[in-house]
Amino acid sequence: MPVTFTFGEMLSARSVIGSTLAELGEQYENLWVLTPDIGATLVEFRDQFPDRFLDVGLAEQVCVGIAAGLAYDGNIPVVSGMLPFLSMRALEQTRTDVCYPNLPVKIIGTHGGLVGNGGSTHYAVEDLALMCALTNMTVTSIGDPLMVGEVIRQSMQMQGPIYIRLSVGKSDAVLYEPGQHDVRIGKGIVAREGTDATIFTHGTTVLQALKAADQLALDGRSVRVVDMFTLKPLDGDLVERCAAETGGRFVVLEDHLAYGGLASRIADVVLDRALGLSSFERLGIPQVYAGFGDDEQLRDKHGYGLAATVAALRRAVAGASDPSKGTR
Amino acid sequence: MDDTKVGEIERLEDLAYELRAKLLQLCGTYEGAVHIGGDLSVADILTALFNYGLHVNPADIADPRRDRFVLSKGHAAVCMYIAMAIRGFFSYDDILKTYGQLGSAYGMHPCKVQLPGVECSTGSLGHGLPLAVGMALGARHRGASHRIVCLMGDGETGEGSVWEAAMAARSNELGNLVAFIDRNRQLMTSFAEERVVFEPYPDKWRAFGWEVVEADGHDMASLVAAIDGLPATDSGRPTVVICETIKGKGVDFMEHNLAWHAGSLGPADLERAMAALEASRRKAVA
Repeated sequence: MPVTFTFGEMLSARSVIGSTLAELGEQYENLWVLTPDIGATLVEFRDQFPDRFLDVGLAEQVCVGIAAGLAYDGNIPVVSGMLPFLSMRALEQTRTDVCYPNLPVKIIGTHGGLVGNGGSTHYAVEDLALMCALTNMTVTSIGDPLMVGEVIRQSMQMQGPIYIRLSVGKSDAVLYEPGQHDVRIGKGIVAREGTDATIFTHGTTVLQALKAADQLALDGRSVRVVDMFTLKPLDGDLVERCAAETGGRFVVLEDHLAYGGLASRIADVVLDRALGLSSFERLGIPQVYAGFGDDEQLRDKHGYGLAATVAALRRAVAGASDPSKGTR
Repeated sequence: MDDTKVGEIERLEDLAYELRAKLLQLCGTYEGAVHIGGDLSVADILTALFNYGLHVNPADIADPRRDRFVLSKGHAAVCMYIAMAIRGFFSYDDILKTYGQLGSAYGMHPCKVQLPGVECSTGSLGHGLPLAVGMALGARHRGASHRIVCLMGDGETGEGSVWEAAMAARSNELGNLVAFIDRNRQLMTSFAEERVVFEPYPDKWRAFGWEVVEADGHDMASLVAAIDGLPATDSGRPTVVICETIKGKGVDFMEHNLAWHAGSLGPADLERAMAALEASRRKAVA
């Protein structure tokens, strides 16, 4: 039965992963799901396909290594877990065993950014920088919970590996009506049109960017919001178009280190294509090991919350510069 | 032992001699470093596997029923290339002429993408056994009856990922998985036991729930017996064959010598190494 969701409604991305994998498990007899003891939301798949489900316990390295071995054997393995551990403990397995032979392993995980209040052991804040550095890896970060299902479905046709980053995934705001946007891996989504400036973002901060754009609208300013859910390969043509169509004024907002993630990737496009912006400001995690607090409190504390985003957009449209530029 | 078996063992011994001679020839021709010490310690094991133990067919490298061989100690790649060439997979002349050169498929660590016939890309130690576990799970799920054989160095088993894989193999009752260990008791720069307490080594594998077979890695009869005794692939326990070996085996000045982890032989040393190999064979026959 088709279910529709409306903007702002909360939905669990993890439940979408669970139901999508169970659906795909039916369709693809060579789909496997592996996890290092983070299997609670994989129960549908586990119960329907117990012989293609593997929980290795607390062992990220072997989890990714086994996934590579299964892929060598002609299977499509999905590794699901927490990204602070998958992206770092198993980084070499991901690079050498998965990316080097370009195997169709999918790494899907939660806790991207300062989310979940677990402290710095449990925040993945460097993961996109690490994953974007890997040859053959496709890198995504998704905010809208329904989009997670669509990206997993599309990734079934891919030859090589993909990394799919989520927030905590227990309660995520629905951002788009199903079918509202043409979701395609490698293409950014213009979540809101605008002409005075563009804010690029991904994952959990898309909602915050939309709220900031609402506030700028009250000022009479029109801000374009781009959900750049694919960081690699980056939609450089969309970046170029936004430069031309929104006065060369860019703000990049992300729940990741301010240097090394989407902002850096967009800056590369700006330089490579000599786009000549009039302003460029990045909002993200500074070089700190963040403490405890809920997600919004941490974003506020570390300078990339809603108020900071609104302020950055106001500076951009007014042609003012970022007072903290270069200090993050 | 019957006459057929005796003849088979003699044939394998001849092939192992051929493999060592070809290794030395390459080491004497190629100007860069070759991991000759560890190559010589696995020469008998690789000969026994590719010419006796593994069900593989050089004429059909994609046969789904083939046994899969994972060279986890990827730095012994050249020994594997030559062993496979002797079995008919590759041309030894190609290996000798192009090894390590720009554009060659034959490099220091094996790459499946560049060299079809090799099962997987390896070289970073501790990665092969997890790959083999994945291959074994896939095979068992399909109801396939082939084996997955993974060759590791003993030093390599200092990597924690090996023991993660050992637990996963036991937990999933992968009787179609066999590990061979090249127990040459040398790391790159030290004698193993001086740095890491590996002993009681077989007991470590037993404690992880594996069947343990101890073999002389330079005695073809011992290797053949170990292979003959492997459990059926539908059994419930993975097996490790711990092969006692000598790094540099067959060339007296390389044996137990830390200087020969990797190196190259000039023309004079090549002649000396060949003479040593010949002498060691005469001694073995006598």
